[in-house]
Amino acid sequence: MIGVQEKKIIELPQRDLGKETIVQVDNLSVYYGDFQAVKQVSLPIEKNTITALIGPSGCGKSTFLRALNRMNDTIPSARSEGSIRYDGVPLLDAAIDVSALRKEMGMVFQKPNPFPKSIYENIVHGLRYHGIRKKSQLKTLVQESLEQAALWDEVSDRLDASALSLSGGQQQRLCIARTLALKPQVILFDEPTSALDPISTAKIEKLMLELKEHYTLIVVTHNMQQAARIADNTAFFYQGELVEYNATQELFNQPTEKRTAEYINGQFS
Amino acid sequence: MKSQITNRMATVLISVCAGLMALIMIALVGYIFYQGLGHVTWHFLTTVASTFQVGGGIKDQLWNSFYLLIVTMIFTTPLGIAGGIYLSEYAKPNRVTGFIRSCVEVLASLPSIVVGLFGMLVFVNTFHWGYSILSGAVALTIFNLPVIVRVTEDALRSVPVALKEASFGLGVGQWYTIKNVLLPAAFPGILTGIILSAGRVFGESAALLFTAGLTSPDLDFKNWSPFAFDSPLNPLRSAETLSVHIYSVNTVAIVKDAPQVAAASAAVLALFVLIFNLSARGLGAWIQKRMSGKS
Amino acid sequence: MTLNKGSLFSMSDEPAVSTQDRLRKRRQNINVLFRRDSELRGKLAIYFGAILIILATVSLTLFLVWQGLRLFLFDGVNPLHFIFSNDWNPGDSAHPTYGAFPMIFGSFAITFLSALIATPISIGTALFMSEISRKWGNKALRPVIEILVGIPSVVYGLIGLTLIIPFIAHHGGGIGYGLLPGMIVVGLMIMPTITSIAADALQSIPQELKSASYALGATRWQTIYKVIIPAALPSLLTAVVLGMARAFGEALAVQMVIGNVTDIPHSMVNPAATLTTIITLHMGNTTSGSAFNHALWSLGLILLIMSYIFILIIRYLSRRSKVL
Repeated sequence: MIGVQEKKIIELPQRDLGKETIVQVDNLSVYYGDFQAVKQVSLPIEKNTITALIGPSGCGKSTFLRALNRMNDTIPSARSEGSIRYDGVPLLDAAIDVSALRKEMGMVFQKPNPFPKSIYENIVHGLRYHGIRKKSQLKTLVQESLEQAALWDEVSDRLDASALSLSGGQQQRLCIARTLALKPQVILFDEPTSALDPISTAKIEKLMLELKEHYTLIVVTHNMQQAARIADNTAFFYQGELVEYNATQELFNQPTEKRTAEYINGQFS
Repeated sequence: MKSQITNRMATVLISVCAGLMALIMIALVGYIFYQGLGHVTWHFLTTVASTFQVGGGIKDQLWNSFYLLIVTMIFTTPLGIAGGIYLSEYAKPNRVTGFIRSCVEVLASLPSIVVGLFGMLVFVNTFHWGYSILSGAVALTIFNLPVIVRVTEDALRSVPVALKEASFGLGVGQWYTIKNVLLPAAFPGILTGIILSAGRVFGESAALLFTAGLTSPDLDFKNWSPFAFDSPLNPLRSAETLSVHIYSVNTVAIVKDAPQVAAASAAVLALFVLIFNLSARGLGAWIQKRMSGKS
Repeated sequence: MTLNKGSLFSMSDEPAVSTQDRLRKRRQNINVLFRRDSELRGKLAIYFGAILIILATVSLTLFLVWQGLRLFLFDGVNPLHFIFSNDWNPGDSAHPTYGAFPMIFGSFAITFLSALIATPISIGTALFMSEISRKWGNKALRPVIEILVGIPSVVYGLIGLTLIIPFIAHHGGGIGYGLLPGMIVVGLMIMPTITSIAADALQSIPQELKSASYALGATRWQTIYKVIIPAALPSLLTAVVLGMARAFGEALAVQMVIGNVTDIPHSMVNPAATLTTIITLHMGNTTSGSAFNHALWSLGLILLIMSYIFILIIRYLSRRSKVL
């Protein structure tokens, strides 16, 4: 399944050095009750790049991702320590409006999770909440976001159809469109293709490469080939710690840490 | 092979239990309809009850039952749904939540006559609402509230967490998410529960004896002013419902055809409960099907 | 807030508002309550519902307790005498007596006797539905049982009055009224309740548990007897207790068939009375504030206390079933 794709996008994207940092994480720890899921992680995220977070299941990469837009706030026992700065603003501060934060840092989940409503309603749900109610404006934004998510051509004639009538890959692109409609700066992807077939996966990966022109993408992935195909930078997490963080090409070709080497050589997963 | 024989005997015994249950239940329903339906005519449904003469109907009682049901549901539905939303979405795992849960449990297991006594004490006597639709409806609200709370909580909990996360992930607030994502998704379950509970309210009698009363004025179906004492809509008049009528016909009435009137009323009551039950199932399944999106 | 909206949704323009300002919580004033889709307004409505539930429960309990204590506080009746004496004659103007034991006895008798006849058939049916034929159980029996749970209790009472009492009277049971028709009527009434809860409990037993037993060569009965029933016991008992709670509080169905005589009955077919039947019989025609009226509220207090006790038993059982 990977073989077909590998030929096409095997070329690693060139690393664009000297990009500005958009998110700066310092000494971030996340606890679920007494359990420490993320241990004092520090890393910068560069603007307009794709950053991949890899590592075996339970290594804390998803928890780390969900700490960035404070999605962990919805879990009563979760608590974060340390600092996350987005464009210089401390995100763990009590004065932060999580609603505005999540609008600016959109999130796409592991399993496509469209609302059981029409395609149109799926996209305007967030827009309406954030204060856009004019029909014409909503329509424009729906079309724009669907075009950006490469879904417009497939659904333009049936915006009133239920989102659940779409295929899995289409549903996931709808979820991306729904996020794009809010004009975020950063988009967080939590294993966005793990529930999809190879063709749908390829489409989403292509879309992500297009999106990084305008957005900063952070992608948790279980699939190392995926990280190698799309990411500019890759971070390897193991047991809650950040083991290694580097340009993707370097991390895969010359890992400095033994655990990284073992993991990318498939000695454990 | 003793165990084989025991096994076979046990299987037979269990099956006999099930058969007996089915038989009893069919016999009960059959008896109610067989005894009662013969007497149920259009005339019976549209004639007022008579205290002294043969040939009374159940027109006012039927109206009272429905009116009381509607008023009760107007009170219960928003409150019950609010309680269910609180327990499933807003409640933090602390003492207050535990206490509310206990309250729901207490309300759910109180005998309906106890609720009726409370209604008499507070609404009828203290608030001076007298034996009235309003007193009855508030008492039935207390009686029905825990059912709707539980139904709502269960229905909300069965909505996939992924939907809630999707909405929160877009920065959408909790209330807006509840209103626009969770409640619509939970709607079939809540609706089914509400209709089923309506059947329970419709047949309730003990809570009404001391709140809505055992009598009703002769209703003037031409006078729809809610303030007229004999208006069908007046919420402060006493109102004997169909199920209370079955009881009172058997215990206080002196008409000769009391057995027939009671049997026919019981058949009508059982029929409506059946209709509530079947429509709840049918409607729930139908909406579920439509919502799962093959439209 | 309309100020920054425009800039936020135009991609080309540089945001006019700094990130700091966009992400900072806005000070909320009273106006948010009047805004459409106000989060605060929704939250307040929800909390209002929750508070009302507390208010209803607490006030109901307090009012009924206070009202039930009046007989002992103001009319000088000894609570122990009230509970244990057989002599109930509160209507006697010269020498009123307030012995509620016959009614307490009647209520407990109806509760236990009806559970006695309902439990075996109900549990048997539940076992049939979960272990012998799930298809028949879920497709045919369950809907019928769920409909019967909803049949109003007066209808059961009427069946007792027109079918069971004549039958008993015809077969030498005196006039037919008494504990026997009471327990049959209430037994029939709680049967669907017990069955549906018990069937749920049995069907939620993990399949692995059963498979393990069958894999050891156990027969179906051995599996039921040795594995399923022990595992489901607390839940099955809960079903029975819930049925008993319903039986204890049932008023009109019992009222219509028990005869309402406040003596300890000599046999199953002698008229008797329960707490609920005496309350329904007299509450409407006693003067409020009289000792007779207070005595009825004290009977109500016993009902209230008993329903709290049933809740405690159910809580105990549900803790047991979580441990397993």
